[in-house]
Amino acid sequence: METEQKLAEKEIKIRAKDRIIAWPRMGRIDIPLKALVQSLGAKVVIPPANSNEALELGVRNSIEGICLPYKLNLANYMMALDKGANTLMMFQAPGSCRLGNYTKMAQKTLKQMGYKFDMVIFDMYKSKMVQTLQAFWHVTHCLNPYCYYKGFSLGFNKLFAIDTAERLLFYTRPRELNKGDAEKCYHKWLKIADETNSVRKAKRLKKQVIEDFKKIPIDKDKKVPKVYLIGEFFVLLDPYTNQNIEKELGEMGVEVQRQIMFSDWLEHVLKPSIFYKKESHRERCVKYAKKYMKRAIGGECIETIGDTVYAAKHGIDGIIHISPFSCMPEIVAQNILPKVSKNENIPVLSLVLDEQTGKAGYITRIEAFIDLIKRRQQKYAI
Amino acid sequence: MEKKTVLTKIGIPRAMSYYNNFLFYYGFFKSLGVEVVLSDKTTTATINEGTKYVVSDTCFPIKVYAGHVINLLNKGCDVIFVPSIQSTGYKVNNCSKIRGLPEIIRNIINRPFIMIEPTLDKTENIGLYDFCKNTACQLGITDTKEIKKAMDAGWEMYNSFMEMTKSGISYNEALNNALNGKFVKKSVDIVKPLSVVIMAHGYNLFDERISLNLIKKLEKMGVKVYTSLNISREQQQEALKKLGEIQYWANELELTGCAAHYLLNKKVDGIIALSAFGCGPDSLMVDEISHHCKEKGMPLIHLTIDEHTGEAGFITRIEAFVDMLMRKKRNTLIQNAKPKAKADIINIKKEKILTGSAK
Repeated sequence: METEQKLAEKEIKIRAKDRIIAWPRMGRIDIPLKALVQSLGAKVVIPPANSNEALELGVRNSIEGICLPYKLNLANYMMALDKGANTLMMFQAPGSCRLGNYTKMAQKTLKQMGYKFDMVIFDMYKSKMVQTLQAFWHVTHCLNPYCYYKGFSLGFNKLFAIDTAERLLFYTRPRELNKGDAEKCYHKWLKIADETNSVRKAKRLKKQVIEDFKKIPIDKDKKVPKVYLIGEFFVLLDPYTNQNIEKELGEMGVEVQRQIMFSDWLEHVLKPSIFYKKESHRERCVKYAKKYMKRAIGGECIETIGDTVYAAKHGIDGIIHISPFSCMPEIVAQNILPKVSKNENIPVLSLVLDEQTGKAGYITRIEAFIDLIKRRQQKYAI
Repeated sequence: MEKKTVLTKIGIPRAMSYYNNFLFYYGFFKSLGVEVVLSDKTTTATINEGTKYVVSDTCFPIKVYAGHVINLLNKGCDVIFVPSIQSTGYKVNNCSKIRGLPEIIRNIINRPFIMIEPTLDKTENIGLYDFCKNTACQLGITDTKEIKKAMDAGWEMYNSFMEMTKSGISYNEALNNALNGKFVKKSVDIVKPLSVVIMAHGYNLFDERISLNLIKKLEKMGVKVYTSLNISREQQQEALKKLGEIQYWANELELTGCAAHYLLNKKVDGIIALSAFGCGPDSLMVDEISHHCKEKGMPLIHLTIDEHTGEAGFITRIEAFVDMLMRKKRNTLIQNAKPKAKADIINIKKEKILTGSAK
C-alpha cells in the first residue's frame, strides 16, 4: 500500500510554492480556513457558492444513490479545479456514515475526468490535533511556528466571531423594528471578518460584533415562538441546500436556535479531551438521549434525539428536523422522533431535502407548522 | 440475594443477521438451554405489517425486520433477540440502520416486550466474547464456563454450515443439514453453459420473498449461480486487496469481496448485483465494482428491489441479461476457435449452448 501511495505522489508532484488550495464549501468555513491557509503562505481558491448550476454539475457526475452533500462537494471541487486549484482538502471521519467514502469516490471520479490534483485528507476520527498539523505541513511546508500560531488564532477568532454574529442574528431577526437591519449587520461583519488580517484585531472581533448588534432597535417584549433547528450537519450549515430556512423562519417572526455550530464541533474534534473541561454538546446529547438511544450509531443521530429532549425540557416550542434524502443516520432519527415527540410533548416537523425540493411546498409546510406552534402557545396560555 | 429469573425462550426474527449468523446463534442458545423461536418466512403480509411501523424513507430490509418482530410478538414470544453489530474490525463500521436496529425497534413498537440487545463493536474493543456474554447476562445466565462452551457449540454449527455451502450445497439444504446435525459435502461440480455470481447481502438474497426467488429462477434458465457463501471470508478479503480496494463497510465482503474474487479468477460470465432501494452502502459498493467491471469487460446488471417490485419486469430483465451473456459467450468461442476447425466448432458449441438456453 505504501509503495502505491509513493508512486501516486510521484505522479503528481506539486511543489509547496505552486500549491493552490481549495476545499468544499460548508457554511462559513471558507473565511477562517482562508485566513489560516494564507498565513501559512499558500494560495487559495474559493469555489463559488452553491447554486443550481453547481448542483446540476454535481448530479451529472456522481452516481444515483449517493447523498446530496457529496454531489455539491464534487461540484465545488470541479469548479475550484477549473479556476486553477491543484490541491484539494477534505476532512473525513471513518465509521460515521457514507462521509468516509467521499474522498475516495471524489478522487476516482475527478481522475477519470482528467483533472490533475493532489488531495489532502484530514482524518477526524477522535481528537487528532497532531494529524491536522501534519496535513497542513504537507500542504504548505511552512516551518515557522509563529505562522501556525497566527493562522490558528486568526482562524479560530474569526470563526467564533462569525458564530456569535449568527447567534445574534437569530435572536435579532424576528424582533427587529426595521426589517433587514440584522441581515445587513451580519453581512457587514462577515465582510469585516474576512478582511481582518492581524491577530490583535481578530481577537477584538467578537466583542465588536456583540456591541454592534446591540445597537439594532428591537421590540424586546414581543412574544416570539422559539424553534430548534436540528438534523444533518451539512444541510444545517449550508444556506443553499436548506433553502435558507433560517431566514424564512426569522421573517415569519420565529426565533431559530441551532445547537450545531461549526466552532463547537471543531473545538471538540481538535482539542485533546484532557483540555476539554466543560460538557461538550455531544456529551450533553448522549446524556439526554439515554432514554431512547443506548448507543451512538454514527452521523448526527444521537445529537438529533438528545437536542429534541433537551429542547422539550428547556421551554422550546417546536423542532424542525432537516436531512438530505437517503441519509442513513437521520432516517434512524426520523424513526425515533415520533415517540420522543409524543413522550416529551413537543411538536416535531421532519423535512427531507433533495435536489428536487420545490420551495413553495416547503414553505407551506413550515408555515403550517408555525401556526400549529402558535395555537399551542395560546392554548397553554389560557 | 434474589436470583435473576432465567429466560428460557428467545425469538429470532427471520431477517437481517439471521441469514448469515443464524447457525451460530442457534448453537449458542441451544447449548445454553434456551429454546429458539423463529418467525415465519417472509410473506407480503409480513412486509405490509412492517411498513406500517417505520417511516417511508427507511430501507426495505428494515421494514421486513419490523414485520418479523411483530410476527414474533403475535406468536406470543415476548423475548426478542435484536443484536446491534456496530463494527467487525477496527474502523470497519456497519450501516447506521444495522447499528441502530435495537434503537429503531425499541422506539417504533409500542408493546411490552423484552429485547435482548448485545453490541458488537470492535472499534471500541467490544469483541465477540463480550457480545455473547452480554447476551447471556441479559438472559440471566452468568456462568463464564457455560458461555464459553456455548460459543464453541455455536462456532461448530456455523463452521459445518459454511463448509457445506463452500462445497456447493444450496443455502436451504445446508441449513437443514446443519440443524439436523448432518454433514454432507458435494464432490462433483455440475457444469452448466453459463455461470454468474450474485453480489448481494445474505438478507436480501436468501430471503425468497425479497429476492423473488432469484437463485431458483436463474437455475431454471440453466445458469450456475455462485454466491458469497461459496468462498471463504479470507478469499474475499484477499481478492478485494488484489483489486486495490479497502474494506470500508462491515458487511461489504458479501458484495465487493465476492464479486472481486470471481472477477479476478474469471470463473463466471457475468455479475448480478441485487440491492434494496435506498441502500446507502450498496450504492457505493456496486459503483465500485462496476468501475472495475468496465475495465475488465465483465457484464454487470444492477437489480434494485423494494416492496413494489413487480415480478414480471424482474424476470424480463434477468432473461435479457442471460440472453446477452449467452450471445457474448458464443461470439468469444467462435472468435477464439482456430480458423480450420471453425465451422465444426460453431456447430458443436451452438448445439451445446443452445440446449441450456433460457428458452
